Amino acid sequence: MQDFVSISLVYLGIYALSAWSLNLQFGYAGIINFGWIVFQSIGAYFAAVTSIGPMTSHSYQTYIFGSSLAFPLPLIVGTLSGAVLAAILGYIVLTRKIRSDFVAVIMLVVAIIALQVVTANVSLFNGANGLSGIPQPFNGVLHLSRAGYQWFYVGWLTVICIIVYLGIEWLCRSSWGRSLRAMREDEELATHLGINVQFLRLVVFVIGGAIAAFSGALLVEFLGAWSPDAWSFVETFVVFVAVYIGGRGNNRGAFLGALLVPVIFGVFPSFLPAFGYPGLSSTLQWIVIALLWLCTFYFRPAGVLPEGRLIVQREGQPDVSSMFRRGWQGSRKSLQSEGR
Amino acid sequence: MTTLTKEIVGVSLDARGIVVNYDGVLAVQDVNLSLTPGEIVGLIGPNGAGKSSFMNALAGDIRVKSGVIRIGDRDVTRLAAYKRARLGMSRTSQKARVFDAMTVFEGLVTSVRGDAGASLTSTLRVGRAKAAEAAAAEKAWELLDHLGLQHIANNFGNELSGGQRRSIDLAMAVIREPSILLLDEPMVGVAPALVPALLKEVRGIAERGAGILIVEHALDVIASLCHRVIVMAAGSVIAEGTYDEITENVEVRRAYLS
Repeated sequence: MQDFVSISLVYLGIYALSAWSLNLQFGYAGIINFGWIVFQSIGAYFAAVTSIGPMTSHSYQTYIFGSSLAFPLPLIVGTLSGAVLAAILGYIVLTRKIRSDFVAVIMLVVAIIALQVVTANVSLFNGANGLSGIPQPFNGVLHLSRAGYQWFYVGWLTVICIIVYLGIEWLCRSSWGRSLRAMREDEELATHLGINVQFLRLVVFVIGGAIAAFSGALLVEFLGAWSPDAWSFVETFVVFVAVYIGGRGNNRGAFLGALLVPVIFGVFPSFLPAFGYPGLSSTLQWIVIALLWLCTFYFRPAGVLPEGRLIVQREGQPDVSSMFRRGWQGSRKSLQSEGR
Repeated sequence: MTTLTKEIVGVSLDARGIVVNYDGVLAVQDVNLSLTPGEIVGLIGPNGAGKSSFMNALAGDIRVKSGVIRIGDRDVTRLAAYKRARLGMSRTSQKARVFDAMTVFEGLVTSVRGDAGASLTSTLRVGRAKAAEAAAAEKAWELLDHLGLQHIANNFGNELSGGQRRSIDLAMAVIREPSILLLDEPMVGVAPALVPALLKEVRGIAERGAGILIVEHALDVIASLCHRVIVMAAGSVIAEGTYDEITENVEVRRAYLS
């Protein structure tokens, strides 16, 4: 039971990072990245091979770049690998005049190809069997029990999530974040204001890719193993549904989505006692998630916590805007009161 | 890059022999235009005359088949639209573009900040960015005040009426203090009560040194604003002169005015 709580919390942290990364790309900037899982995965693989140690003749698995770097380095290498992949893919796809729905299809195809290549080519990351025996940071130093280490990881992840959340939230509220939304709303108009939308899109894609890779690196250090099973392209859609249900363009909404979709409907059921024939519960899980998504579309099309509205008032003037307020009032503070 | 924009306040726009075609369909055929600082030039003509295509070519939204476009003495023929915007070119669109899920106020501030606001490095210089944002907000309030549109500051773009959209589109173009302003039918659908305020804004920015090219079907707007009028029909210029001159022109009357 203790396992259940701590493992769920770890997944909540990982999925929160995932949802924030996708929310930045999709919710704020409007990039439909259907290949999102590839970025989480490359982060996981690179963090794994740089901490697992060099391959020897006794190794039961084959991989590239085997080394055993000290603690924060595998995380950094993993994060950078995601950023580099995003920069390369983004440069190829996003700096052309390709419509966003085509970008989505291209990314999906990239994800499928990547999965096939990594599964088929054993020398890269040990093929379909995946990597295992990845050392957990500090586990050798702390001498904690299994449960103790899990709680230690929950704490460490909480700190990371708070830092990442504050950073992303600050960025999204800045003029940079506003420019992202402007680009999402009307690319051509943003261009007329002097904004280089292709470069802006590339930058946000790289930041999102880095955060996705970071989440993968953190997850693999917790699990100690990573294989193609963990990143089939449907995993991308779990995060998409989370962002949709929680509220795109709202980082708190993304967190709520991460809690609702992958954790409550994804991780919890795996702790339930088995019922029916094998595979029934995981099938039901997908049906429930899909129904939840449909209900959101019907009842709250902008998500549970939508983007909201920035209400501004000129000092010393009556709030004439109040009579024009409509719909959900956002939680973003006034431009003036923030002193921006 | 903002300093670069500032340096060229009051520059001329010069287009020579502009040809635009869409997959072989000729839209603009050898059109010339020179626009000096402070000058307001009207561009009129029947539907499909190529007025908007010509304007899109000037702004860099579509490529020219041949011809040369200069801002000051810089050849911008192959320059991307956002770079032309950074050189001080501003435009409104026939479609009255506004940011749908952003408030009017945010749109105006985004417009003032332009590429600096979208740059991560200048955003990270917190002190300077804060000051620039505050100055931009002040500017946005001032312009909304001028136009008497303060009450829609917090409205989303998709909550605006057609006329309001057009006004805000114009406001976003004017607030950048452009040296060259291209207006594509800025008064269509605007309530008569609001037209004088917009005209005043356009005249004001011209007096401060901007060159303005305006496409408009409302001839009273053209008559009251423009120093010079160009008439296009079927992709070519058929007449050019003062408003009175072109209204006397037989060819113009046949093609457009009759």
